[in-house]
Amino acid sequence: MPDATTRFFEELDRQGYEPLLAKISGALRFDLHEGPQTTHWLVRIDRGEIRVSQEDMEADTVVGTSPELFDDLVTGRENGLSALLRGDMTVTGDARLVVQVERIFPGPPHAQGPHRYRKGVR
Amino acid sequence: MAPSHTVRILDGNTFVVCEATGDIEATPTEPTGLFSLDTRFLSKWVLTVNGERLNALSYDDLQYFESRFFLVPGLATHYVDAKLSIIRERAVGGSFRESITILNHDEKAVDLEIRMDAACDFADLFEVKDEILNKKGEIYSEVEPDRLRLGYRRGNFKRETVISSSVPPRYDRNGFGYTVHLEPNEQWDTAIDVQTLAVGPGGRDLRMGLRVHGTERLALQHDLEDWIAKAPKVNSEHGQVAATYRKCIVDLAALRFSPLSLGGQTLPAAGLPWFMTMFGRDSILTCLQTLPFTPELSATTLRILAALQGTRFDDFREEDPGRILHEMRYGESAAFEEQPHSPYYGAVDSTPLFVVLLDEYEQWSGDGALVKELEQECRRAFTWIDDYADLIGSGYIWYERRNTDTGLENQCWKDSWDSISYRDGTLPPFPRATCEVQGYAYDAKVRGARLAREFWGDPAFADQLEREAAALKERFNRDWWVADGGYYALALDPEGRQCDVLSSNIGHLMWSGIVDDDRAEQIAHHLVGPRLFTGWGVRTLAEGEVRYNPIGYHNGAVWPFDTSFCAWGLRRYGFADEAAVIANGILDAARYFDGRLPEAFGGYPREQTKFPVEYPTACSPQAWSTGAPLLLLRTMLGLEPHDGHLAVEPRLPVGMGRIEVLDIPGRWGRVDAFARGRLDLHQLGD
Repeated sequence: MPDATTRFFEELDRQGYEPLLAKISGALRFDLHEGPQTTHWLVRIDRGEIRVSQEDMEADTVVGTSPELFDDLVTGRENGLSALLRGDMTVTGDARLVVQVERIFPGPPHAQGPHRYRKGVR
Repeated sequence: MAPSHTVRILDGNTFVVCEATGDIEATPTEPTGLFSLDTRFLSKWVLTVNGERLNALSYDDLQYFESRFFLVPGLATHYVDAKLSIIRERAVGGSFRESITILNHDEKAVDLEIRMDAACDFADLFEVKDEILNKKGEIYSEVEPDRLRLGYRRGNFKRETVISSSVPPRYDRNGFGYTVHLEPNEQWDTAIDVQTLAVGPGGRDLRMGLRVHGTERLALQHDLEDWIAKAPKVNSEHGQVAATYRKCIVDLAALRFSPLSLGGQTLPAAGLPWFMTMFGRDSILTCLQTLPFTPELSATTLRILAALQGTRFDDFREEDPGRILHEMRYGESAAFEEQPHSPYYGAVDSTPLFVVLLDEYEQWSGDGALVKELEQECRRAFTWIDDYADLIGSGYIWYERRNTDTGLENQCWKDSWDSISYRDGTLPPFPRATCEVQGYAYDAKVRGARLAREFWGDPAFADQLEREAAALKERFNRDWWVADGGYYALALDPEGRQCDVLSSNIGHLMWSGIVDDDRAEQIAHHLVGPRLFTGWGVRTLAEGEVRYNPIGYHNGAVWPFDTSFCAWGLRRYGFADEAAVIANGILDAARYFDGRLPEAFGGYPREQTKFPVEYPTACSPQAWSTGAPLLLLRTMLGLEPHDGHLAVEPRLPVGMGRIEVLDIPGRWGRVDAFARGRLDLHQLGD
């Protein structure tokens, strides 16, 4: 049973194109640190076209987190920008890429969205 | 907020608020300090000589990023005998730098103990007006051989203030000191550097690689000179108009703000000191006001807001797909989700205004490439307007906050809790819909149709938007018209009942174009009539309404920005004389504030107070107050882009004399506009 992070990246690779990233190009590497072990996910974006691999290669932006936090980010339980401000997620290189990629993370799992109003039902 | 004797200097969102001596001793009522990233980095910064506090002879704000203080030891009652002068010169730009010069005027040598007490509470900007008692993290102070490090740590969240000095002092955990011997007429100098660090676990600063301009004093100076040189020149017989304009251009330079992680592009922040961050609404409205003068702000504002457009549902941040953000913050409360500003989306007007700005910007600049670049963002904005914002399914934009702890109750520009009421003064239930936002939605659709037809190659979408706009206008004129008052209701409640008070919002409706032609004259009369117009500007809520109060923030005070959009609206419907009347009022008021209009001033009648009474806690300079004189100049000169040219059709009051605006940038290159005051305001009043 793959973890949420693996499912997220596999799904992203399968999706191949993400309209929300249509304006950006660059390579982003996620380094998930757990003790001495680091798992790498490399996301190459070419104007919305996406390829994901697990290579440890040079990237324009390198993002560092714990695997637990990243699992929470890709399932919407944690918010990327707050994690960044908190220092729980670190960025080196072009920070614009991570701010844009963060937008494809899902919202909180229990978010209700706009409250539709119906007369007599509150 | 900050009393008027405080001094403020800034660069981006790093700024200093201090006493007239240059000292900082923060309290909840006088929240002074060195701030950066929405965090206080110095809450105590007190200079003493031989244990004595200093007294200010004078201070100068040299530029927005530097100031100078002339001080003497001792209290005001005996400083005339002082044999010492102390000069503090300081600048912000990346870090905070202060140079101290001490001059001995005595015929004898003196021995001095010079000391700076330094401390920091690392308050979040949202805490500075409270007693700060229960910080969740740990505050520390570390003495190193060549620096003093003040810090705050909460998990991986770390903020540090690092102080060093060119003349090595003795550091201790509460500050640093120097022992100085000065011969007669001798002088002593030191340069102190205060770095504000937001360090991540890797030791890298959050802001690394983010600078638009250099942060050295000279680079800041050059950047400001370039900015002024690029802006059009205004000359006027009525010398105050030109002076106000120049002040506004410099203040706009000061208010430029470069959001983290967006590559150093700048947009106007909302205001100093507490709003040095991006606000969707404030940034967009300021861009609309300043388009003829500083069009580059619009392109970056649109790009930045597009890059952070909502993509998902998040009830805490009130994010929806397609929604344009309301407010971004970088402090501890945003980081730990004690406040929702990461970013917060609780505004219903910034999304339609985003489309309005894009169209207006293209009409001025001819930058069709940006219109193409932002097509998908505009389409998502329309989806938000039609679907997620229409909580009732009645074809209007409604709001009801989902974040009931820290979200905003009123998600329109009048965002205080009591700003929306019925005529009997009671507050309506939620969801609410305010009138000006429906006007913005109408305008966005009309303008979006033009963009779809001319740039997106989608005439079917253009037709659809036009049909929707026409239907909205018809519906709006049916549902919101207050027949017994001859104006539009401020808001509707969920049952469709009108909040039937007379408010300045009707001016925004004129600007949007949603007002039926045969009703425009009634609206124009209200805007210059005695219930709304004070002689200085337009009251947010009309005199005679139950909640009217001349110093009610959104219930009677005059907001210069608000009045400037009323003037634009009047001009749009052909009421050029009425527009000139209220433009003249605001520009007269600006003289009393040395050209720097506050956020708001009292709604007292002009003849009663003779001068505009500043609203007690107004924030200044504030971006959209700074933009107001610029929009009023545009309005009075009748500057309109028209078929690729700039049309000029001035209507100025006689007292304005001659005004010229030189080098107005746009798709026409640069052109000049000339005008002469020919309009007799007294005749108009009759």
